[in-house]
Amino acid sequence: MQKHNQKEHLYKLLVIGDLGVGKTSIIKRYVHQNFSPHYRATIGVDFALKVLNWDAETVVRLQLWDIAGQERFGNMTRVYYREAMGAFIVFDVTRPATFEAVTKWKEDLDSKLVLPNGKPVPTVLLANKCDQGIDVLMNNGIKMDQFCKENGFVGWFETSAKENININEASRCLVKHIIASESDPVQSVEPDIIKPHLNSSKIVSCSACFKS
Amino acid sequence: PAALPPAPLGFTDVNLNSRNTYEVSRRRSAPEHLPHGGGGTAPAAPAPPPQEPPERARHRLGIAGAGSSFAEFFTRNFFTKRTKELKPAVQSAPGWKLFGKVPPRENLPKDSKIIQQEYEARTGRMYKPPAPSARRKNIEFEPLSTTALILEDRPANLPAKSVEEALRHRQEYDEMVAEAKKREIKEAHKRKKIMRERFKQEENIASAMVIWVNEILPNWEGMRATRRVRELWWQGLPPSVRGKVWSLAVGNELNITPELYEIFLSRAKERWKSFSETSSENDTEDAGASVADREASLELIKLDISRTFPSLYIFQKGGPYHDLLHSVLGAYTCYRPDVGYVQGMSFIAAVLILNLEEADAFIAFANLLNKPCQLAFFRVDHSMMLKYFAAFEVFFEENLPKLFLHFKSYSLTPDIYLIDWIFTLYSKSLPLDLACRVWDVFCRDGEEFLFRTGLGILRLYEDILLQMDFIHIAQFLTKLPEDITSEKLFSCIAAIQMQNSNKKWAQVFASLMKDNKEGDKNHSPAPKN
Repeated sequence: MQKHNQKEHLYKLLVIGDLGVGKTSIIKRYVHQNFSPHYRATIGVDFALKVLNWDAETVVRLQLWDIAGQERFGNMTRVYYREAMGAFIVFDVTRPATFEAVTKWKEDLDSKLVLPNGKPVPTVLLANKCDQGIDVLMNNGIKMDQFCKENGFVGWFETSAKENININEASRCLVKHIIASESDPVQSVEPDIIKPHLNSSKIVSCSACFKS
Repeated sequence: PAALPPAPLGFTDVNLNSRNTYEVSRRRSAPEHLPHGGGGTAPAAPAPPPQEPPERARHRLGIAGAGSSFAEFFTRNFFTKRTKELKPAVQSAPGWKLFGKVPPRENLPKDSKIIQQEYEARTGRMYKPPAPSARRKNIEFEPLSTTALILEDRPANLPAKSVEEALRHRQEYDEMVAEAKKREIKEAHKRKKIMRERFKQEENIASAMVIWVNEILPNWEGMRATRRVRELWWQGLPPSVRGKVWSLAVGNELNITPELYEIFLSRAKERWKSFSETSSENDTEDAGASVADREASLELIKLDISRTFPSLYIFQKGGPYHDLLHSVLGAYTCYRPDVGYVQGMSFIAAVLILNLEEADAFIAFANLLNKPCQLAFFRVDHSMMLKYFAAFEVFFEENLPKLFLHFKSYSLTPDIYLIDWIFTLYSKSLPLDLACRVWDVFCRDGEEFLFRTGLGILRLYEDILLQMDFIHIAQFLTKLPEDITSEKLFSCIAAIQMQNSNKKWAQVFASLMKDNKEGDKNHSPAPKN
């Protein structure tokens, strides 16, 4: 059914973050449109494939690599990171320690993986389980924007795999940045200037994508 | 036993073929398939009530082995199986007034699966054995309702059927009846055959059990390596002796006693107590604590326990085995702080708990993890793991050269799929009953069998995998089909030769250990000899 002039992109995306933050749930929600509180722990890596009709001329195929969260496996992740084009780093808003680990995950990622142009891969930060951590981040919007800027995230979202909040949006944001970084190999996208959105609702809180 | 009456039929179904029973129950126990409090016929939760002591539960669940037929499923399975037999008679969907048998509608919105399941359960109950003869009658094709559809004259306001048309309808109708009868007979034959096989299987298990209990176990050391025992072993251990044989085969090099287990358990409990007292507010301050400390923490184990066989419902919070699993894992982190808790362990401990008493499960667990292969993986000793992968690839290429090349062309390395298989000893990737059978032979043959099983799986699905690209292979292998059967898998495993130019697994592995001394960092290319 594909038109002849249609472009197809294949992107490998990593989904990383501490154990039990909901990486698998986010992917299941995104790809299979469902949620279960009973997923099994991921050992090693799991896979999923999502096809997006990006626009009239572009089809985007996302290869999602769902990587086990235990720090101990750090040694093995290099193999999994290879040739990825973008990443989500996930933490659980109800467990502060998982947020502490975010910078570690980001450093680990950047140390093991760069784009062909030498730049770090576009990475979006996901504050998951926002349906449970009521208002944990609400007043920290500016702080989060600052955090993203300092740590080189292209944006952040409050997400809930359970309630299906912001997952599609987060993915679009990441893909947008990947496409931009691809089409402009020399200078990648200007890091988004963070606009505070004090009264932002939960539904849209990507500093990067919302400003346009 | 040519014609078994219906009741024992259901009975044998559950008892003999616990594998299938288990499969059914496993799928059915998936939460999304459960009727929410609705249909009174299907029990809402497969797990026994939490307050039941695990010991009793174990017995009641018959968990001693092969994959455990839950008592509750007894009824459920019984019904569904029977409904299947009756299918031609009741095939029409629920809610068709035409047939006069309309299951009472419930108002809850349900998906079609639930509806069908409830309907099956209900009809199963309706057909619940009045007497063998009456049931027989039910199976026979009853054309009444169909007659109403096809043979009836048209309503008065429409022109009557022509003679030809009436004749044609009569003929079509006769053909349909004949076809249905044929199908019915064919299915009856099939059922009989299946029953015969199951019966045979049960006899085999029963006689094997007698041999294990009366002959082998009393003379374990003398007999374990004999050809006869090894062959019997390959057939799968009878559930009732499975735990015992595993314990004996794994051994107790570490000389752990039940008392020692109690000591480590109480130490673990103290740590949890102090952990929960200092609790989460201090979390951030503790961030600097050593990795091992963090990993041994209550939270990590807790997080994983409820994600261990979630569909069984017995390890989750409030489930009968939740605390047991917690205890075994906690005691282990105190016993081996150098290893700590590593993901995957919860699955191994869970399988042991399903087959052994608490202290014995711990002893087997600690000794099992002390085997070189398990130690390499659970310490995440990456260079050692790569050597295991390299050895695996030697036999992969030897046994399945075409598939090996196919994988190579996508740079699809064993770290993509073997990690999960080895870390959980297949208990996560295969149906539990089948995983237990793999464990049986793993206890007999050692680590080599884990890799052989992996090759067996690849062989079983070789044709499908050859048609797939990278992402689909990766997805397939990290989530194997649920309908994989032990007969098929074991015949594929049996066909895998663990010989590479006269070298066996251990030799290949040893030579890799030597070879790779220099090129440690190189990524797992299998050396050619």
